[in-house]
Amino acid sequence: MSAIALPGAASARAPFWRRLSSQEMLLAVAIVGLAVIVGLVNPRFLSANNLADLLLGNAYIAVAAIGMSMVIITGNIDISVGALIGVLATLSGSLAVAGAPIAVTWLAPLVLGVAVMGLQGVIVAYVGIPAIVVTLGMLSILRGGLISVTGGKWITDLPDAFHLADIEIFGFIPMPVAIMVVATIVAAVWMRWWPLGRAIYATGGNPEAARLSGVSPHRTLVLVFMLHGFFAGIAALLFATQMRVIQSTTPSGLEFTIITASVVGGVSILGGVGTVVGSTLAAILIAEITSALVFINVSPFWTHAVQGTLILATVIADIERRRRRRAGAVR
Amino acid sequence: MSAAQDTPTPLLEVRGIEKSFPGVRALSGVSFDVRAGEAHALIGENGAGKSTLIKIMSGVFRPDSGSILVEGRETRLATPDDARRAGIATIYQELLLFPELSVAENIFLGHAPRAKGGWIDWGAMRAKAEELLASLDIDDLPADETVGALSVGNRQRVEILRALSHDARVVIMDEPTAALTEADVTRLFDIVRRLKARGVAIIYISHRLDETFAIADRVTVLRDGAYVGTRLTRETNSGELVQMMVGRRIDNMFPKTEAPIGEPVLEARDLVRRPLTKSISITVRAGEIVGLAGLVGSGRSELAQTLFGVWPAESGEIRLMGEAVTIRSPAEARARGIAYVPEDRGSQGLVRPMSVLHNLSLAALTSLTHGGFIDRAAELRLAEQAVGRFGVKMRSLDEVAGRLSGGNQQKIVLGKWLANQPKLLILDEPTRGIDVGAKAEIHRFMGELARAGVAILMISSELPEVLGMSDRVLVMREGRVVAEFDRAAATPQAVGAAMMGDTGAAEKAA
Amino acid sequence: MTAVATSRRASRARVFLRHETILAAMLVVALFGLGLFNDRFLTVDNLLNQGRLMTEIGLIALPMTFVIITGGIDVSVGAIVGLCAIVLGYSWKNLGFPLPLAVVCSLGVGAAAGFANGFIITRIKVPAIITTIATLTLFRGLAEGISQAHSVRGYPDWFYFLGQGDVFGVPTQLLVLLIAIVVFGVALDRTSFGRTLYAIGSNEMAARFSALPVDRVKLAAYTLSGLTSGLSALVLVSRVTTTRSDMGMGYELDAIAAVVLGGTSIFGGSGTIWGTVIGLVMIQLLKNGLALTGVKGDATIMVIGVVLIASVLIASSLQRRRV
Repeated sequence: MSAIALPGAASARAPFWRRLSSQEMLLAVAIVGLAVIVGLVNPRFLSANNLADLLLGNAYIAVAAIGMSMVIITGNIDISVGALIGVLATLSGSLAVAGAPIAVTWLAPLVLGVAVMGLQGVIVAYVGIPAIVVTLGMLSILRGGLISVTGGKWITDLPDAFHLADIEIFGFIPMPVAIMVVATIVAAVWMRWWPLGRAIYATGGNPEAARLSGVSPHRTLVLVFMLHGFFAGIAALLFATQMRVIQSTTPSGLEFTIITASVVGGVSILGGVGTVVGSTLAAILIAEITSALVFINVSPFWTHAVQGTLILATVIADIERRRRRRAGAVR
Repeated sequence: MSAAQDTPTPLLEVRGIEKSFPGVRALSGVSFDVRAGEAHALIGENGAGKSTLIKIMSGVFRPDSGSILVEGRETRLATPDDARRAGIATIYQELLLFPELSVAENIFLGHAPRAKGGWIDWGAMRAKAEELLASLDIDDLPADETVGALSVGNRQRVEILRALSHDARVVIMDEPTAALTEADVTRLFDIVRRLKARGVAIIYISHRLDETFAIADRVTVLRDGAYVGTRLTRETNSGELVQMMVGRRIDNMFPKTEAPIGEPVLEARDLVRRPLTKSISITVRAGEIVGLAGLVGSGRSELAQTLFGVWPAESGEIRLMGEAVTIRSPAEARARGIAYVPEDRGSQGLVRPMSVLHNLSLAALTSLTHGGFIDRAAELRLAEQAVGRFGVKMRSLDEVAGRLSGGNQQKIVLGKWLANQPKLLILDEPTRGIDVGAKAEIHRFMGELARAGVAILMISSELPEVLGMSDRVLVMREGRVVAEFDRAAATPQAVGAAMMGDTGAAEKAA
Repeated sequence: MTAVATSRRASRARVFLRHETILAAMLVVALFGLGLFNDRFLTVDNLLNQGRLMTEIGLIALPMTFVIITGGIDVSVGAIVGLCAIVLGYSWKNLGFPLPLAVVCSLGVGAAAGFANGFIITRIKVPAIITTIATLTLFRGLAEGISQAHSVRGYPDWFYFLGQGDVFGVPTQLLVLLIAIVVFGVALDRTSFGRTLYAIGSNEMAARFSALPVDRVKLAAYTLSGLTSGLSALVLVSRVTTTRSDMGMGYELDAIAAVVLGGTSIFGGSGTIWGTVIGLVMIQLLKNGLALTGVKGDATIMVIGVVLIASVLIASSLQRRRV
């Protein structure tokens, strides 16, 4: 949907609701619609507690999806983020237990996340190895490394101050939710109003044209991976600081949940299009679906199957839409 | 060159440009210039060097020797960025746009107007985009529209606007009308006139002479990499230009030997395949060479690919040897004895990383395979035969096909298809980019094949080749066959005129 | 005529400098090295056991070679293994099928899963990466959903022959793998199917213009990938005697690493089954060597990850120098 600029109305701004892309509208409607339907079947779904828990517990996925969306918009992918989050969470917890200052336990994951992802970005951009291969290898390095270093030990006795996620802003907004909202807004604004943010879309849309317009696809790609690492670090913090005990394992299937959020949120695997508002909304929707399954007495073991179907349907629809658009150019 | 007006310093000038690539001398001693407010057309056949020349002017290639002057000052254009900074903008056929971004953003990507603090000022961007649109009197293209949804004509407009947003003084357009509708072409001309009025210099590469006369002030002809001449368009005519483009070398080049012409092998009636094949009827007989002439974009390759099953026909009838058939895939076409040597050797004809041996057997695998297994001895025999027959120069059959010269590569593509002993051979630009010696050899083979009873449909943009080799010449324009000449009546003037759409001159010359 | 023949013979000498030969030499060196280092290594018992263990990955790595040669990739193979294992257990235990029928079902599901991948990639034209990531999630999800995290045990004894038995001293599944290697190797090297795979990976458009059945061949490659994943699941279940929904996790890493290490270019167009076999053996050796020196099983996947990235980096820089 685009706002039609009528001659003479040059600076008229389209009303807010029309500026959201159709995918975002669709997601918002789905979130509300699903809540209503499930609420009719089982009213306990709509209890304030449940909804709050839903948002609180899954905010970290939305945050991680911000970085993932950026990576996919440039036409690449990353399947190592789940393992990275596991590593960063364990790092943070270990530092806290070892008595490091709280600020360090919160900053260290960010730094390491940026470094690890940045390295992958360099290999993908400058050596030209497909991202799927690099991140597949890194996934195993991280996963294996984590287990061999920690032996799978659980981290207990976390100091109280560690639990960033327990903090409530203005007394009632949980920190994870606040961070999710703030991060989404900041990222969305940056990607819309800052030239470097637009460079992400240019690199993904047509790298050759981007180069000729003065955008460096290589540098943009490395930057995007580094940002992805940063958001993965924040996600790891939100994930770790919610728990009393940190299992030194990598959450299984996390990367695919994050990818699903991005893709269902409107980010196309072919690159060049998508928004972080969309991926955050999609992350909320996915969390809602997972919770809804429980409330309508469907076993939670079907969650991944539902996710897989969602992502498959979205991707196929995207390809079909592109094919149809190319076949019959409107104007 | 007449100097009826005073000649100010050209905005862009090249002198004595030489450029060679391995095996091919693309440009030899070409000079060219363009002035402010002028539209200067650059014409010539395929392979004449136009594309190389504009790539040099755009900073994509660097000349082996010669000089480039921008507003009289000698300049080095080592990269496309240098050209852009010098005020030269090039609009290629493959448009370099971002399909998911808006018109305004496409225009200003990389140099968007900024508000305080460095943020992008979308309002200013849209306003400036609308200014640019208005300056070219475009009132039906919203600045917020997504480029991917636009027609080719509108996308081209966006590209032109992008050039203008960089304050381009020289705009080079490479075959801009190849994919446009008539209405779009008219609008493009309007834009060109406005640009001229603003003092922008336009270099306009095209095959279409009628367009040249419509908007160009001067026209320069290249032929085989050499400069032939420059004329004021109002002081010349299409006949003279065609002669300059084509030259008079027809007789000695192509040893046309007579072949007995037999029954029709291919009879196609009213073939339609959107968007480029509008309604084609064509007949090719055994032993006959039918030349298919036409401008780039006239739909010749698309017709060939429809006959070959790459884009199956939507309606119409095809008869092979009198039998009605439907051809829905290349495999079906091959099974019925049709062979197609494609236009683009590198990406369609050969698998360059594979060996010569494997390339030669690629189209004949089904006949070389028994129970799934390839008969290697038979494959080797086939390859040795082909290589011997065509005189392919290579180090061994295991050599990577991509390393051979253009002529030898083409022989392999031919050899690959002749292994199937086709009854109808469709050749699409068979000698493009090939040295003279190999060209002559390929023409000799064509003669042999015709004598052996193969029906040959030859698509070519080189008039001498078409005129020299064909028993009949068909001219295509915008998806239809618009003229047919038998060998005697096919003169450069007649065929050239029919290609350009100048039916009056065509009849006069026939 | 003879000039052509002799020049072909001359090029055979260049075989010795090919990637596979270098790799094979490295393999022999590694074998000796590990043998000297640890006297438990070069025993027949140990080597045969390693052969047994590497079958599951090996079966998957064979059609993965085909898929990667065409320029595609399939990361859903591990999930297909899990799904087929669950289907085996579920149809036998919950649906009451006789075990042979359950086996057939399991293989059928594997082939169907592979076919689904291939269909989406060739007909709907979704890129292979995202297709197999999506189906990976779906197939693993189906396995989890169908099994509800219950494991199935208590298969009849004859079923364990595949995963735990021997034929003339050679582990059964290793025999199956060896047969598969020969079949796949010959198919790639000597059939028109194999030749078409190479053509697709090198230049898909030219392959279409040469009237080759491109879509059919790609579809077959992905279907085979699913089918052998099913076979691998059977071997796995037969070896560990239970069925769980998290089976096969990480198999795609090992399989792709074996293929890439064996010299197949990730960009398609080149590679051989023999190379994949060498890559497979080297990875198994690596695992074995690490285990014998006391490194825990989980850490070995870290090493495999390093091997994967390193071999792709090396292959890429070598390719650049040749061009």
